[in-house]
Amino acid sequence: MADPARIKTDDTCEKTTTATEEPKPEETDDVSATAKPTQENKEAPSQDQPRQDVKPETAAHEDEEEGTSGQSACKRLKVEPEKKKEKRQKVDEDEIQKMQVLVSSFSEEQLNRYEMYRRSAFPKAAIKRLIQSITGSSVSQNVVIAMSGISKVFAGEIVEEALDVCEKWGDTPPLQPKHMREAVRRLKSRDQIPNTKYKNILFH
Amino acid sequence: MAEEEDETGFEEEADEGPGGVDICHGRRKRLFSKELRCMMYGFGDDQNPYTESVDILEDLVIEFITEMTHKAMSIGRQGRVQVEDIVFLIRKDPRKFARVKDLLTMNEELKRARKAFDEANYGS
Repeated sequence: MADPARIKTDDTCEKTTTATEEPKPEETDDVSATAKPTQENKEAPSQDQPRQDVKPETAAHEDEEEGTSGQSACKRLKVEPEKKKEKRQKVDEDEIQKMQVLVSSFSEEQLNRYEMYRRSAFPKAAIKRLIQSITGSSVSQNVVIAMSGISKVFAGEIVEEALDVCEKWGDTPPLQPKHMREAVRRLKSRDQIPNTKYKNILFH
Repeated sequence: MAEEEDETGFEEEADEGPGGVDICHGRRKRLFSKELRCMMYGFGDDQNPYTESVDILEDLVIEFITEMTHKAMSIGRQGRVQVEDIVFLIRKDPRKFARVKDLLTMNEELKRARKAFDEANYGS
């Protein structure tokens, strides 16, 4: 699971235009958290290197004497972002370790719930069919991936809000429709639910 | 809010027969019942969530997808839905934005890994 804070720092590195292969050492969400980390830590040192060449526009000036344009892309990464790479590696490792410690201390029921949380997903075929029936033309695979991902986050937001409502009203799970509707009402007032049905006519 | 109450009310009526007129939205077969149940459990609900709650959530998700699709069709390249449009629409919501970025990056990684694996096999 990524936390938004981590993504922000990565964003600056993400817009690479180099031809070199550089898969990012982030945890996947398809496999359990415990299996991944060992793999990532091995990959991290070798693959963080090529990425850094985008960021140091400033560092490039230092390296200009070192080579012509063709070479400089590789040379640039030498100097500055050792610290940036280490810092991001550390943040990744820290987070991975914390997750490991957390998951290892889960009870049976919590493990079940966590597994359901990670593994549940919307079926890509159905989402694709739904989007295509709305657009009337075909959509790419990435669109389906993105849409099912944010739909899951959306469902999670509603369920979390509904659980808040349920607790506030002194009820117990399972959630009832009244909790869901109150949750929707609250999210609507925070503009977290898109609604294009009513146009706001300013001057009538 | 009225739309959710009306739909749960009309659900029984629309099952009258094959020739029945499809008045209200959400009449289609339940698309995501099984997956939504697992999802609700994962997000904190009971292990057996109420069917009505699952239905409400499914309607909400379908409405969400519909709205996003319509919005994406109206920006960028008209009439088409592209990833950039979705990312643009999501930009204000940090959770969803981070999630989309994660997923797309992960997809790229996996594609590269698979490609490298296949090439390694092909060579041998």
